[in-house]
Amino acid sequence: MQKTLKLGASIRGVGYHVSAWRHPDVDPRAAEKIGHYAELARIAEAGLFDMVFFADALATRAIDSPLGAAARYPGDAILDPLMILPALAMETRHVGLVATSSTTYHEPYHIARRFAALDHISGGRAGWNVVTSFSNREAANFNRAEQLSKPERYARATEFLETAIGLWDSWEEGALVADRQSGLFFDPSKVHAVNHVGPHFQVAGPLTSSRVPQGRPLIVQAGASEEGLDLAGRYADVVYSIPRSIEAAIANRRELQARAVKFGRTGDQILSMPGVQVISGETEAEAREKYRVLLDIVDPLTALGMLNRQFGDVFTPEMLDEPVPAEGPAEGTSYSVARESVKRAREKSWTLRQLCQRVGLGQHFQIVGTHDRAAEVLAEWFTSGACDGFNVLPSHTPGNLADFVEHIVPRLQQRGLFRTAYEGATLRENLGLAPL
Amino acid sequence: MAPAKSATRQMKLALHIHATGHHVAAWHHPRSQIDAGSNPRHYIEMAQLAERGKFDLIFLADSLAIRLGDVKAKGRWPQYLAYFEPLTLLSTLAAATSRIGLVATASTSYTEPYNLARSFGSLDHLSAGRAGWNIVTTGNAASSRNFGRPEHFEHEDRYRRAQEFVEIVCGLWDSYDDDAFVMDRASGLYADLDKMHVLHHEGESFSVEGPLNMRRPPQGRPVLFQAGTSETGKETAARNADVVFMQQQSLERCRSLREDIRGRLPKHGRDPDEILVMPGMAVTVGRTEAEAREQHDFLQSKIHPDVGRAILSAELGYIDLPEMPLDEPFPLDLIPEIDGGVRSTAQALRRVVEAERPTVRELYQRYANGRGSHQIVGDAVQVADELEHWFRSGAGDGFIIQPAVLPGGLEDFVELVVPELQRRGLYREEYEGATLRDHLGLARPESRYARPALQDAN
Repeated sequence: MQKTLKLGASIRGVGYHVSAWRHPDVDPRAAEKIGHYAELARIAEAGLFDMVFFADALATRAIDSPLGAAARYPGDAILDPLMILPALAMETRHVGLVATSSTTYHEPYHIARRFAALDHISGGRAGWNVVTSFSNREAANFNRAEQLSKPERYARATEFLETAIGLWDSWEEGALVADRQSGLFFDPSKVHAVNHVGPHFQVAGPLTSSRVPQGRPLIVQAGASEEGLDLAGRYADVVYSIPRSIEAAIANRRELQARAVKFGRTGDQILSMPGVQVISGETEAEAREKYRVLLDIVDPLTALGMLNRQFGDVFTPEMLDEPVPAEGPAEGTSYSVARESVKRAREKSWTLRQLCQRVGLGQHFQIVGTHDRAAEVLAEWFTSGACDGFNVLPSHTPGNLADFVEHIVPRLQQRGLFRTAYEGATLRENLGLAPL
Repeated sequence: MAPAKSATRQMKLALHIHATGHHVAAWHHPRSQIDAGSNPRHYIEMAQLAERGKFDLIFLADSLAIRLGDVKAKGRWPQYLAYFEPLTLLSTLAAATSRIGLVATASTSYTEPYNLARSFGSLDHLSAGRAGWNIVTTGNAASSRNFGRPEHFEHEDRYRRAQEFVEIVCGLWDSYDDDAFVMDRASGLYADLDKMHVLHHEGESFSVEGPLNMRRPPQGRPVLFQAGTSETGKETAARNADVVFMQQQSLERCRSLREDIRGRLPKHGRDPDEILVMPGMAVTVGRTEAEAREQHDFLQSKIHPDVGRAILSAELGYIDLPEMPLDEPFPLDLIPEIDGGVRSTAQALRRVVEAERPTVRELYQRYANGRGSHQIVGDAVQVADELEHWFRSGAGDGFIIQPAVLPGGLEDFVELVVPELQRRGLYREEYEGATLRDHLGLARPESRYARPALQDAN
């Protein structure tokens, strides 16, 4: 049987385009409404997506540089994804439900409980995107003047995951007997203390939840640093990545598989899912027109604000019609995706305004072209071993996600590269991961 | 003659959901949902049924550790062992209901205010204004061991931390004025940042910069609940709470506690009517008194003595209790000395033992259903009579109904008691408004940053 690719949909407000709320097809108030997210989850499920994914932040992000940028940034009125997903569980039956949660600003006992509850409620569809958080603003909301160093954050994350997994394993399958005859509700011999004692956490356990349908929720990881790759190699079932060329994607996937092997796992236990934005139409002209609208609505102030957040206060509105500076600040960022964007702008001799338009639309791999061409490119990536699937980042919603489901999914199915029905009951089963 | 319903003050009703039911032996009863702890459908159906019964709210208690105590008892008593984390569950229930309030316990001792403000703020948004937070400081020493502390915080420290925590959370909810997000497509202006407020909190236990990355909740502030009747607990409630839950067995005690708490509000600049007091009521109702009694007796007969002893141990703060002859008086000297700051449940138990000298079996049977709450077993008229009597006597502004068996006990209550209370004009026939604050008759709080009212010219 031919191997098929996996699909995730990343959902953020009304889209990943930073000015998506200004798109003529978008209701800007939808970002605050659960009905909007339910609609997106249903669209993804109609397209047989493996999962929907919600990112998160534990602080506001906008910086007012240049002046006026902060008031134009739409990403600071968000909802807790761990509260959105249990509601979406009611609106869907198959699609996986993945939320970001920080290991730096939470406690393992809480996180283990919440994902356990989500897994029970959804019948085995919960996933956790493990992040360590990287802004001083987040630190300042959690009793810290500045954030922990990267090695400290990742050491904490590793211990956090070890502890959470211990908690998920604290109830054996079949611990609940509920035998009215004998009067025994559960078998205490099948419930285990965790007694974790480490530098960051001391957790006695057991968890206040019986074993969850998936054994444990799906573990997702992004973050391409050395520390991030190790964390992924050790624990991740799925990795979101940001390569923008097929060659980079192949290398990235090989690297991840090698990391899994390094930690005693096999390469097929870790799935690479690069982010992709698809702007497609029946004709090339239609696709170009959609793309033009998306570039046009980018508010340059908002995009400059994003760049300045990533690079420090280096770009001003006065520079918009000049070429992107050939050297200087761009190397001084921890955002690898942003470094890539600037590198590309230089290669293509873009002005800062052109860079802003691209950055505003999205910094991941983009395909702009006919539906056929888009499906062809995705197929090419997949069949050449560049990935196990894609994480689709809709520019604006529901429109761009609905387009993908309507036009791209059937073309992938025709090629025999994507399922025509969900294979299993749980997220892990649909992803083809071995049972725990 | 029809009662003049609109003129009558009406009681509020909360449904306290405890997986299989409030009686420790509930799971033995055929009308309990035996897999309740991992069955979301069970909760959805109960929430929808409670909404048909026009309940103000459903309430989910919580613990941050599995129940302590004797292993032999644990295997026979499912409460607080394997169940849903309540915030997650409430979000699911929000999607399955449209009117009923959604209240969960969350601890100020083992969470961070920023995280908690987001979770409850999100719940309020998702439910369009139906969220409530039951503020607890967590009395269970086992919890500390799941959060890196060998010992639990001291009682007074817990409350001091709780007060700071609550102030931060309320401040974070006010981070943006209600009309801050203008979303003007033409100008490109998404938010009016003059209407954003940074908390800059630096305190004894927390430093939280803010703002919260969330629009102000629909209710302005989710409804704040509190339980606990210690001196500090009452004082904290008078400062912060919209609703006080209590578990007390005597009407007289509820009435005096209600007066006590109401009397404390003016010194915090609040009107006594800004707080509602809701005692727990462990209700078992049947079509006839005999039917109710039969169910009750069945449950009482199913309490294993190990479980009985474990219940009493829990009420007394998880002290070790020796094996005791079940039909002899409970030894008074087993109850720890009461000094300031001891759990109010232990004080309540001492009062019962001193006043009535029950046998060990009588005492645990009394606590087996709804713990410290008053028990009512009877037909619809008897239950309604008792609730009406307590309500008219000023013992509560409403009640937390704690059915012995779930979902059976809720089905009976909605079918039998609710119409009886409505007939008497004591309970709503339709929801008055859209939000939990509307149901409870509580005003939507102004933001702390709202402009002060203009001075009266005179």
